[in-house]
Amino acid sequence: MAQAGVIKGTVPAAGSVERSMDGRISRIRLFTCIGLVAVWEIIATLGSYGILYNDVVPHIWNIVIAVGYELISASFYRDLGMTFAAHSVGFICGSAIAVAVGIWLGTNKLIREAMLPYLNAIGSTPKIIFLPIIFLMFGVGLESKMAKGALSAFFPVVFTTTLGMMLINPVLIRVGRTFNLNKWQMITKIYMPAMVNPVITGFRLGVAITIIGVLVAELKFSDGGLGYRLGIYYEQFEIAPMYAVILLIFALAAAANTGMTKLQDRVNRHMAPTTSKGKKARASASGGLGVVN
Amino acid sequence: MADILQIKNVSKTYDADGDNPVHALDGVDLNIAEGEFVSIIGPSGCGKSTLFNIIGGLIDDHDGEVLIDGREVDGAHKDVGVVFQEESTFPWRSTLDNVAFPLEVEGIDKAEREETARKFIQLVGLEGFENHFPAQLSGGMKQRTAVARTLAYEPRIMLMDEPFGALDEQTRMLLGDKMLEIWAALNQTMLLITHNITEAVQLSDRVVVMSYRPGIIKEIIPVDLPRPRTSEVIATPEFGTYVGKLWTLLREEASRGMAEAEASIAAR
Repeated sequence: MAQAGVIKGTVPAAGSVERSMDGRISRIRLFTCIGLVAVWEIIATLGSYGILYNDVVPHIWNIVIAVGYELISASFYRDLGMTFAAHSVGFICGSAIAVAVGIWLGTNKLIREAMLPYLNAIGSTPKIIFLPIIFLMFGVGLESKMAKGALSAFFPVVFTTTLGMMLINPVLIRVGRTFNLNKWQMITKIYMPAMVNPVITGFRLGVAITIIGVLVAELKFSDGGLGYRLGIYYEQFEIAPMYAVILLIFALAAAANTGMTKLQDRVNRHMAPTTSKGKKARASASGGLGVVN
Repeated sequence: MADILQIKNVSKTYDADGDNPVHALDGVDLNIAEGEFVSIIGPSGCGKSTLFNIIGGLIDDHDGEVLIDGREVDGAHKDVGVVFQEESTFPWRSTLDNVAFPLEVEGIDKAEREETARKFIQLVGLEGFENHFPAQLSGGMKQRTAVARTLAYEPRIMLMDEPFGALDEQTRMLLGDKMLEIWAALNQTMLLITHNITEAVQLSDRVVVMSYRPGIIKEIIPVDLPRPRTSEVIATPEFGTYVGKLWTLLREEASRGMAEAEASIAAR
């Protein structure tokens, strides 16, 4: 491409410039990865001679072996199942309530103005402070993790839904009125499609924050789940398995986020210019919400 | 031809019982004949948007009457199709689905409404873009989609509030030609709200000049330029005469409006 451009005596096409930029970005990422692995291995080697962080940083191959053990252990899948159950039930309950409340707040200015200070205050508080209350109310088992998950999911979804409801372009509603839409048609043909995008944004944030919420509850006080597993390995000073669980949780959370991002891009494919791959819209939607877990 | 639209002694005051009542319109009388192209022009704050909303049935609490074929209009009306100044296409719908929207709402089956939609998409010159989404279209294409959508509703009166106001001058001239083609093809009554003098003269049979607040009709200027007309008409001396005449009428109103707007900013 670039060569053809030179032969024709023209400036290289924008596409090829972008591609060489992409190439440089992947090279920087690769070198960062190699650098981190090298630093890690140096620290691990120093540790095994008792010089630095003795036994705290295991060799990477030990972690890889531990990951393998986790993946063939039945108890890992039991914990995974518990975390998954707590996450999905918590997320579904929390976000369903949040969508309903968000629509209500979005349409009712009086209630919104009255409630927003409270929501902002609680929304920007780390929800971890409510853990003791949740344990007292729901016990140590799965129910308390579900409740924590629901609490975590609620805030990002309620904020994006309320905002989305408020920001529906008023001219679209006027268009509906001039075409004599009845109330039901207004909801199904204008409000609902206009709300899909902000609600999906809320779901994406909600899924990520619910993972954190559930893990924190499991780490603190529980009888199962990936957070519990992590805590046990830590307490027993089983360092390589501990890292293995961290890695697996990281991979699962990243996969969940990628899945939600793909879903959002699919839903948004008509909403923003395709060239920016929706990145800009997402960044602005997730920024400045003041949601702290 | 018979009058399709009669506006009788229409007045509107915002915040009538409050501390700062605004007399937007004061006793507006206007008759529009079937098939006529009429522009309503005035400075910012002359109440032309209020008049637009009243004719379009979006404002109900006004004094006076709006009659279509002699019957009073109440609320949004099937005979009046509205095109807004703002971008009003549905971003989640393709051009085809946007244009078919009013037919979908009326419960017309898919094959039939798409056939009708394609006809109007072609009429506004957007064939080939049926499956594009608004985000992929230019501002002028989006407004033409909105025009086609309103045309697909098959109203007897097209009521447009500065539909090309946000576009650049040259695009607007070309879209003016397009509107004249559509008007000739459909024999539709067109009522255009604008603040653009050349646009008003380029398109209209009559130009209604409104005064600054309270909005009253200051004068109605018949535009006696030959039809069929294209934007090339602006090169003629007659065109210049009309533009000059309208500006003479508007200049005083516009400067009064500007002075009052600036005074209210200073008072804040």
